[in-house]
Amino acid sequence: MIKKILLSIFGIWVVLSFIGVAMAAEGGNERKGKYSYRKVYKACFERGAVESEKPSISPDAKTQAQWTRVFDKKKFDEFGCAEEWNKLSEAELLDIYTYLHAHAADSPSPAKCK
Amino acid sequence: MQPRQLIRGALKTLLTAGFFILGILSTGHAAETADTDEAPGRVMARQAIREKEHWNTTDHAMHPALQQNFTSGAEITAACLSCHNEAENQFHRSIHWTWKADDSPEGAEHGKAGLSVNNFCISANRMKDKGCLSCHPGWNGVEDGINCLACHGRKKINFKEAFEDYAYFMETGDEESLQMATDIQKDIHEAVVTIGNPERENCGTCHFYGGGGDGVKHGDLDSAMAKPLKTLDVHMGIDGQNFTCVRCHTTRLHKIAGRVYTAPAASDRKSLIEDDLTTKITCESCHTATPHKTVSKANDHTDRVACQSCHIPYFARVNPTKMSWDWSKAGDRKDGKAYTIKGPLGKETYMSIKGEMVWEKNVKPEYFWYNGSIRSITAKDVIDPILTIAVSQPEGSRDDRNARIYPFKVHHGNQPYDKINKTLLAPLLSGPNGYFTLMDWKKSLTLGMEAIGLPYSGQFDFVKTTYVFPTTHMVAPKENVVSCMECHQREDSRLVNLAGFYMPGRDRVKAVDIIGWLVIMASIVGVSLHGLGRIFTNGKRKEG
Repeated sequence: MIKKILLSIFGIWVVLSFIGVAMAAEGGNERKGKYSYRKVYKACFERGAVESEKPSISPDAKTQAQWTRVFDKKKFDEFGCAEEWNKLSEAELLDIYTYLHAHAADSPSPAKCK
Repeated sequence: MQPRQLIRGALKTLLTAGFFILGILSTGHAAETADTDEAPGRVMARQAIREKEHWNTTDHAMHPALQQNFTSGAEITAACLSCHNEAENQFHRSIHWTWKADDSPEGAEHGKAGLSVNNFCISANRMKDKGCLSCHPGWNGVEDGINCLACHGRKKINFKEAFEDYAYFMETGDEESLQMATDIQKDIHEAVVTIGNPERENCGTCHFYGGGGDGVKHGDLDSAMAKPLKTLDVHMGIDGQNFTCVRCHTTRLHKIAGRVYTAPAASDRKSLIEDDLTTKITCESCHTATPHKTVSKANDHTDRVACQSCHIPYFARVNPTKMSWDWSKAGDRKDGKAYTIKGPLGKETYMSIKGEMVWEKNVKPEYFWYNGSIRSITAKDVIDPILTIAVSQPEGSRDDRNARIYPFKVHHGNQPYDKINKTLLAPLLSGPNGYFTLMDWKKSLTLGMEAIGLPYSGQFDFVKTTYVFPTTHMVAPKENVVSCMECHQREDSRLVNLAGFYMPGRDRVKAVDIIGWLVIMASIVGVSLHGLGRIFTNGKRKEG
């Protein structure tokens, strides 16, 4: 009986997680995300912290699941430009996540930052 | 060892030693005079290019016509043409716009918008293949007018995306969106006013990637030429002369010098000394017809051997180039899916949608007599499929006084042809119904031939073909040029395929050989007898 309850809780948790991720992805604005993401690197480039104003990581560098994990944990070290990333609001982060997720390597339209 | 062989060996050793000593002496002499006696061709070329800096009388950023919000490519073009009001007429007549060779033989219709076929990406289907149209300098293929910035823009942005996003953010209308729209418009404006003569990136966007990828088409033009070192190209090297493409590809009425297919790049090989308004498209334009030092034997070659033959020893010296493409192998699937195999040079050697391909680096050119024109067949010409079909081949022969020995990349293909009509076929490759999507030959061949308006019997097979590209870029530094012995030798001469004339070192005439050996032997006997005579007479001379 306990096993069944535990399995059910686990099942519900998994389903809710997927729904959460899906809703989160839908919740952001992909277009705004694209420009917010670019703006981070433009600002970073202008203060001389990076060599190119083009974002260093393209959406197709990761799968959708990998992008979800990165934004769930909010670990943005690999992106560099920590100063700019720390200034982003929750809404801007959601937009960026939506953009990266929508153009991930396993998405219908993988994209590179040009 | 037979005595005859012994004598022959000894003579050969003596001769080799003699040439070696002569070589050392002449090299020593050359080194001695190198600093003081520069080749006149280099001096002339330096004079031709001494004015390097361009100057302008207009700051486009200040121009009233460009102080506006641009929401489409057509608006940008209209702004350009409001001042440059002849540019559109001129450009519409150029091959960059028409994609048609205006000097085609009657009824031949050469060009991508005509009936031309090749043996790599095969056809642009009279401009109906959308993949090819990405290189047409219009805002949307041929439909929305000229995109002046394709050639003159120095700042690259994705205009299509920028216009779409700008419209979206303006319509959304919230504060954040309007700020983004302002930022996008700032980017567009910056791109519109940051203009000038074409840079390497402008030309290279298409010409480095001809045939559908980096180094697919030309062996001497690939992305390595965007910022080459002098070792790759002495003219364009960023650590040397740093030429842009238009330094040699001079332009008149938007027609750019240098196209070499149906007609030569220049009708006569004049230097700037003879005509100060001549194009700079040939080597002689700047280097003259006697570019080497007065004593150099190389000057005696320039009437029959193109400069490129010696000065471009190998092409594709940084990036690999595609040397063959077998379309008959296309269509294979693994687990029902298209797949790709990469080879040791990091390039695709098999793609389900393209077939089997061979890539090579540091390729030795093949040499042909060439008068500057290339003869090509079109999708209308009848072929004999038993033979290997020369889709294109250089024109000229030894008897043609305008022809010289010239280096080429020869690309080998195996491509579809019509078994009944005996013509090469032009499949539609890109788009939802193209071969790249459906991998269906029947459909792509039917659609492709419909697009170019030629009959297709419905029956096809594959035929072996060749296609030539003249090699003229990637000019090596003088210390890396082809040495005399690479051509003037019996074994593995670079010119082994060129017959019908006598070339010292490569060829042998038995009578001349016998006479030569007799002279050498007579000289040795004479010297020996003279020496012996001196020994036996104790070196005494008759006193007078």
